[in-house]
Amino acid sequence: MALAKPSQGAREEILGRVRQALKSPAPKRPPVPTGPLFAPVENLLERFQREAATNYMEVKLASDGAGVTAALREVLASLTEGEIFVQDTPQLRQLAADTADGRPVRWSSEGAPAESSRATVSLCEGLVALTGSVLVSSGGCGGRGISVVAPCHIVVTHAGQLFPDLESAVARAREIAFDNSYVGLITGCSRTSDIEKKLIIGAHGPQRLVVILQTN
Amino acid sequence: MTATREQEFHRQARDKAENLAHRKTVRWAIDTYDAAVARGKSRFADFEAARQRCYEIKWEAVNHLDRYLEEFEANVLKRGGHVYWAADSEQARNYVLELAAARGVKRIVKAKSMVTEEIYLNPALEKQGIEVRETDLGEYIVQLRHEPPYHIVTPVMHLSRAQVIELFREKIPDDVKGDSHEELTAAARRALRRAFFSADMGISGANFLIADTGMIAITTNEGNGRLCTSVPRIHVVFAGIEKVIPRLQDLATFWPMLATTGTGQHLTAYSTLIGGPRMASENDGPEEFHVILLDNGRSKLLADTEQREVLHCIRCGACLNACPVYRNIGGHTYNTVYPGPIGSVLTPHLRGLAEFQHLSYASSLCGNCNTVCPVKIDLSHHLLQNRRNAVEQVRPPWRLRLGMRLWRWSMMDAGRFRLAGRVGKALLRAFGGAAALKPWTEYRDLPPVPEKSFRQMWRQNGAR
Repeated sequence: MALAKPSQGAREEILGRVRQALKSPAPKRPPVPTGPLFAPVENLLERFQREAATNYMEVKLASDGAGVTAALREVLASLTEGEIFVQDTPQLRQLAADTADGRPVRWSSEGAPAESSRATVSLCEGLVALTGSVLVSSGGCGGRGISVVAPCHIVVTHAGQLFPDLESAVARAREIAFDNSYVGLITGCSRTSDIEKKLIIGAHGPQRLVVILQTN
Repeated sequence: MTATREQEFHRQARDKAENLAHRKTVRWAIDTYDAAVARGKSRFADFEAARQRCYEIKWEAVNHLDRYLEEFEANVLKRGGHVYWAADSEQARNYVLELAAARGVKRIVKAKSMVTEEIYLNPALEKQGIEVRETDLGEYIVQLRHEPPYHIVTPVMHLSRAQVIELFREKIPDDVKGDSHEELTAAARRALRRAFFSADMGISGANFLIADTGMIAITTNEGNGRLCTSVPRIHVVFAGIEKVIPRLQDLATFWPMLATTGTGQHLTAYSTLIGGPRMASENDGPEEFHVILLDNGRSKLLADTEQREVLHCIRCGACLNACPVYRNIGGHTYNTVYPGPIGSVLTPHLRGLAEFQHLSYASSLCGNCNTVCPVKIDLSHHLLQNRRNAVEQVRPPWRLRLGMRLWRWSMMDAGRFRLAGRVGKALLRAFGGAAALKPWTEYRDLPPVPEKSFRQMWRQNGAR
């Protein structure tokens, strides 16, 4: 710490005022009987696909490892020339070897993704059927930048990673919270509606979010 | 003589309400929002249950604020982050100014943060020679226009595409390749990419501070919040002390609620949790993580048990969109960082009742804000309480005091009441068309003053 000395600022003063204020209790509304906030999710895979589509995501189902390889090859073939950034895991090393086709690959073990990366490839911590979201983390999924820097983010996953709803997905986030400096629930592509409320896909983050999901 | 805030408010309100183009732009934006929210709410099995749960979580957090703030702080420290407690705007600004100087920071990128608007951070940084770039598209546009955000969630709700085209052609001509919404967004993306990747520091707000994990939660759609907190080497968070919630699990309720009432989405594209700097085992992320907890009048509001629940606010903007006054006079007319019903309630607490009590009257008291609030803040009643407090604490104008005294005098006795009725009728007949009554009579006809009073008619018609 190069600052003169690490300062807590007005900590005691503020906490003192807060404690003084809380000596007088505030009224509380009476509880009202409540049921579940969301209807239970039945068919996880089918629901995930439906929700992901409304979030402008691309979901590619593959029945086995060969299908995953084929799906990734197809996505990479649709990109312009240039480097891709891949999370460094044995599974993705193998996949990249099978699909990169001479394209330069930078690995997450080498640092942060380059600004000019054409696409990024990572695993995920889970999928949320209720909302069509992807749960990612910095430690488990190749860092922070991997899910936001490139115009295309490709997630490789399998049906066993499906969570039915937010309660279960957030519970998973809680389990891994102290092992990561970043945990995120990504629901579709980067977007904006700031100008005249018109929805534009692809603001600062990816325009494409591709989920390659192995069903078996 | 310069106009008082109140006079200025009335002048701008009149101008804006008469500006039909402005009203059309805002009506379009809010109608679009309303349609999206209706869809969003239908995705809940029980939306009212979700509101109740949000209310209960916030009540729990705000009424045990000291405990949860300490827990949050301890967990941030455990993660290698720093926590600084700022009593007011100046302390908050000075901390980051000192930090920037110590670290040789030249360029800063910012994600959307209302608290940094509240403490007027950008001018202070710029004065120190630091380049500050807002990166939310809407915030970027208002920054280029040198004006404050128009709305908590939708900063450029008041602008048309034509106005943005004109602005971008002047400010970032090389990045503009076309006039469509897509091309304008792409132009901002190009310009801001350079900012993200050359910045030394990223500044963000926080939608929630999570006590049990020492994380901050940010929700953004564009991804700018992600880049601000991933790419630069230092991440600084500004948050009001009331933002803390007890458990990460609470976000299973708050994330869909904030998304629904904020924009009508089921979930915002990026629901992000950040705790601390990058870990030793991680490949990227900032090396430093600082959280500035801001009081700035909040502990005073906490002491007001009647209005303590105003601190439950999650800044979703729903009450702005729901307010018939906001819809017609627009966000800038309030001249406050937080506009609309929540701003009218909050601002007198943050900046003084004497100067901002007129906002308590910027309401029809229809109560629509109460019904849309995701944490059930009783906004219209708090406006009434502010009116009452203003009468008790701030000396009302002599005309009001005289009028109220006369009214009380006449109501205390039947004979005086009769006399007051006669005098009142005579005055109305004589001066009904007077210029002093113009604000009322300009748009309404004064009904003819009846010949006889109700009591005269009662007697003549043979009652008793």
